[in-house]
Amino acid sequence: MNRGLFVVLGLTIAYGVSFLGLLLAYFSYRRRKGGR
Amino acid sequence: MMIRFNFLDWVWLGLYLTLMTGCGLLFYRLGKRSEADFFLAGRGLPWWIPGISVYATHTATDTPMWVSGVIYKYGLRGLWYSFFSAWCAVAAFVSARIFRRSLAYSQAEWQSLRYGGLGGELLRGWMSGWGTFLNMFILGWVSMAMGKLCNYLFGWDNWVGLVIPSIIVAIYVLSAGYWGVVMADFQQGIIAFFIIVFASLWGVKAAGGPAGIITKLNTLGESWRLNPFHFSGFFGGDFPLAWFLTMIFIAVLGGFGMGTSIDWYAEAQRIQSSRTVRDAAYSIWWGTALTLTRNSFWAAAIIAFFVLYPHITDAQQYEMAWYRIAFEQIPAGLAGFLFAGIIAIHFSTISTHLNLGAVYLTRDIYHHYINPEASERRLVMAGRVATAILLLGSFIYGLMMEEITRWLIFALWIMGAGMWLPNILQVIWWRFNSWGYLSAWIANLGFSWLVVWILPAFGVIPELPDYLQFWALMVLTALVYIPVTLLTPPENKFHLAKYYAMTRPIGWWKPIKQEALRLGLIKEGGGR
Repeated sequence: MNRGLFVVLGLTIAYGVSFLGLLLAYFSYRRRKGGR
Repeated sequence: MMIRFNFLDWVWLGLYLTLMTGCGLLFYRLGKRSEADFFLAGRGLPWWIPGISVYATHTATDTPMWVSGVIYKYGLRGLWYSFFSAWCAVAAFVSARIFRRSLAYSQAEWQSLRYGGLGGELLRGWMSGWGTFLNMFILGWVSMAMGKLCNYLFGWDNWVGLVIPSIIVAIYVLSAGYWGVVMADFQQGIIAFFIIVFASLWGVKAAGGPAGIITKLNTLGESWRLNPFHFSGFFGGDFPLAWFLTMIFIAVLGGFGMGTSIDWYAEAQRIQSSRTVRDAAYSIWWGTALTLTRNSFWAAAIIAFFVLYPHITDAQQYEMAWYRIAFEQIPAGLAGFLFAGIIAIHFSTISTHLNLGAVYLTRDIYHHYINPEASERRLVMAGRVATAILLLGSFIYGLMMEEITRWLIFALWIMGAGMWLPNILQVIWWRFNSWGYLSAWIANLGFSWLVVWILPAFGVIPELPDYLQFWALMVLTALVYIPVTLLTPPENKFHLAKYYAMTRPIGWWKPIKQEALRLGLIKEGGGR
């Protein structure tokens, strides 16, 4: 594994996990709103 | 430097490992009762238990390395680098009390109590993802430091110290959750504190005691090292007054916010696990007082190391100052005792972040978004799965830490600079809303790349020292989030009134207080 790959992997996990949390919040909010 | 353990040393070490993991395992039956037990010890702890845990968590194996680095380089002025944690002295009586009253498990959950609607939920989702990553990263960081330290002391491969201690810690964190973490922290913190004091004083004695050290510094012409206020000018030199004033500003006002320091998230869990609001305030105050006391013992030993070895220029060498003077000077037969102290320092930090990362995955992601109807049994199960995910993530980050540290420190630094003021505004100003906070995050991300790397690379601006970067990012991001806040509607007044009645924040909350009075949520003249 080389350095560039590590940097991409490290930053992808960091922002990827955060963004997944954001998407989860968005769709769950929409679903709940729709349900009421 | 190679340490050879004799039989007695291994006996010491075996006894300590048994004591430390056993202490956590003892609380297995309490930890598995419910989500609140697995992550907050049922909010029932007297202040001195989470207080010791605050101290133990903030002492990791890399901490004496960076303290050695700044003290060897700057003399006692270097102590100011560790003074950032003084924000806790203010936070103990401001944001700690507000957070404890909110009953939020995590900062992510607090965001959805303070902000309503879609914006509040988006902030909670984003922050729980970020919190999961951040704890994996911190775990990787401190594990790598332990790997290097074991390599330095014993010649073991880096992965040994990185992986093996974390697996031992995971035994009690998986089984007993936060009950195990905080109780093991309690005895690890006490053991580590006494070993740090003992080894440091022993090092000072070896260098000729305080009088001998002062004489030697005078002979070397280095007596400025004993003056913590030895500034090199207002803006110029290696230790400008402007840096010092910026640090004091960040440290003192930071106590009015939540998340103004990366340490806040671990403190928040300890604050919430305290029995009462007063216990929460005392725990963070005393834990930080112990941390600052620890630094002064370290500093004395590092100055002693300096008079023994005054001509080291390689930072990687002098960063080991405290470890070297401790292991070189400690009486024979006590090396195992000293290493047990290092294990205690390491375990308490690893255990905290394994459990804290699992809070976000369990409480915010699983319980709030995926399965709101989950039973307590399922939630404890989810907590254990989340802990295992954090353990695996820590190995991934630990193994690549060598390569990416600079990038990720940058990612953390940008969390700090531009977000410092929004983190305060959200606590003290009712009008600040979720769109303001979100826009601050995004603006901060863009501006920090520009200010730190891109603009200096193209010669548009000079490469600024860190304290000027802080001010630049603070002003630039404010130019985005203040207009966004004022152009978007405030949060729902009923939601804010409920938050006000629950947490009783300080600052500019008058319209919300009136709303809460009108709704009968609070009474006129009712004290806290």
